[in-house]
Amino acid sequence: MVRSTGNDAQALFHALRSAYAATPTNLKIIDLFVGFAVCTALIQVAYMAIVGSFPFNSFLSGVLSCIGTAVLAVCLRIQVNKENKEFKDLAPERAFADFVLCNLVLHLVIMNFLG
Amino acid sequence: MRGKAELFLIFISVLPFLSLSFSAESPKERRVLVLLDDLAIKSSHSLFFDSLKSRRFLLHFRLADDPEISLRRYGQHLYDALILFCPSVQRFGGSIDVAAIADFVDSGHDLIIAADNNASDFIREIATECGVDFDEDPVAMVIDHTSYAVSDTEGDHTLLASDNIIESDVILGSKKIEAPVLFKGIGHSLNPSNNLVVKVLSASPSAYSANPKSKLANPPTITGSAISLVSIVQARNNARVLITGSLIMFSNRFFRSGVQKAGNSTKHERSGNEQFFTELGKWVFHERGHLKAVNIRHHKVGVTDEPAMYRISDDLEYSVEIYEWSGTSEPYVADDVQVQFYMMSPYVLKTLSTNQKGLYSTAFKVPDVYGVFQFKVEYHRLGYTTLSLSKQIPVRPYRHNEYERFIPAAYPYYGAALSMMAGFFIFTAVHLHNK
Repeated sequence: MVRSTGNDAQALFHALRSAYAATPTNLKIIDLFVGFAVCTALIQVAYMAIVGSFPFNSFLSGVLSCIGTAVLAVCLRIQVNKENKEFKDLAPERAFADFVLCNLVLHLVIMNFLG
Repeated sequence: MRGKAELFLIFISVLPFLSLSFSAESPKERRVLVLLDDLAIKSSHSLFFDSLKSRRFLLHFRLADDPEISLRRYGQHLYDALILFCPSVQRFGGSIDVAAIADFVDSGHDLIIAADNNASDFIREIATECGVDFDEDPVAMVIDHTSYAVSDTEGDHTLLASDNIIESDVILGSKKIEAPVLFKGIGHSLNPSNNLVVKVLSASPSAYSANPKSKLANPPTITGSAISLVSIVQARNNARVLITGSLIMFSNRFFRSGVQKAGNSTKHERSGNEQFFTELGKWVFHERGHLKAVNIRHHKVGVTDEPAMYRISDDLEYSVEIYEWSGTSEPYVADDVQVQFYMMSPYVLKTLSTNQKGLYSTAFKVPDVYGVFQFKVEYHRLGYTTLSLSKQIPVRPYRHNEYERFIPAAYPYYGAALSMMAGFFIFTAVHLHNK
């Protein structure tokens, strides 16, 4: 039984990889950006766990900038993805413009709250 | 007319010399009122009085019931010190009473009280005011069957040869008193909770206070080392009082007499009384152990002016100069003077370091607490005047622009936010250029 579940996990992993390889490049770039943002957030949380939350506003600002950027990038990915029927009528340029403006507001707020 | 003008001119020219006698630095002659029961004491105790006169004291001898004696006139004290060698006085003449004597000591003047075995209630009351309780039994004397002075005449062991002398260079001088001190009179006890009185000469553990002429009916009220033969009191205003239950200790006879303690084979040529009272007299009249603290300064490190306010975590320096008066102002040298930075409790307690010339200083950092602090020096040492110096200074917290601009602990967060901005920028470039 164990060997078959191990084989199943491997088969699943391979299936996922080959399916992912089929996604368009621009979506892969967005995924990479999201991954980077989430990693940075995790690093900050680990740092806070070790050192303590002394300038708590700075911690929140740093983590929120990462999470906010990740969220906005995910929204961009959803809107740009051609396979997504819900946003068929939305021009990708419009989605990108929204992304840029939201990021500007986000970073303005982050810089103020950073202290 | 011309005679009057001349007289006036002479009078005017003498005035500057009169003013010299009030200079604060040069020791002026101090007036001491000595109240006696009997003018014969003036001659029978002449060695003691002469030692005072040789140290520039003007002694005014009066009988205790002289109706013209008074300590104050028109609100000013007439004398600088008082010696009561009148144990049997019932009531003072003139305007002196217990309240006047208490007021005299309260205004900083020194006092010597000697009682003996016919001490009146009046003298006992004055002693109680000073913190010392004579034995209530009016016929009791201090008796010691192991520490008495060997003598040919008296066999009732009331003449004691005591060497339980306190060890203090300030009070009794640096030269050790070799011979025992003779004592014959009443003993007193000190309240243990009173920390202003000190036993200078105490009785040996085998002493007790009882009537020498009759058999002991009840156990004696005070016994052993609790009996003090000679005590000193230094009041909180630094007035000094010497109290003893034996007037005859000061007499020429005792000063000159040889002494041999019972059980001891050494026979001393002269008793220790003269040295004991000369040195103790110096202490009582502030010729030794009188400290003066001047020039209390504090400032931030690097600045000479005294600021009106400090900020938390400032570095500051505190300095004070302490002099000891012994004829002249000598620098006082000690290694245990401490300063507290005090607000309800000492936040900083530092020992001041001295440059051996009377300047004590130290430096420390203001604690991380704001409020109104005091620099307090509370110096209480046996035999020295108490120094209670206190200087108030407020301490403020940081102003809003005195905090550090960037907190080092938050650098990772700054880095993360900035990297997010950079990443966003690079991402937009790549996303736009990607088809």
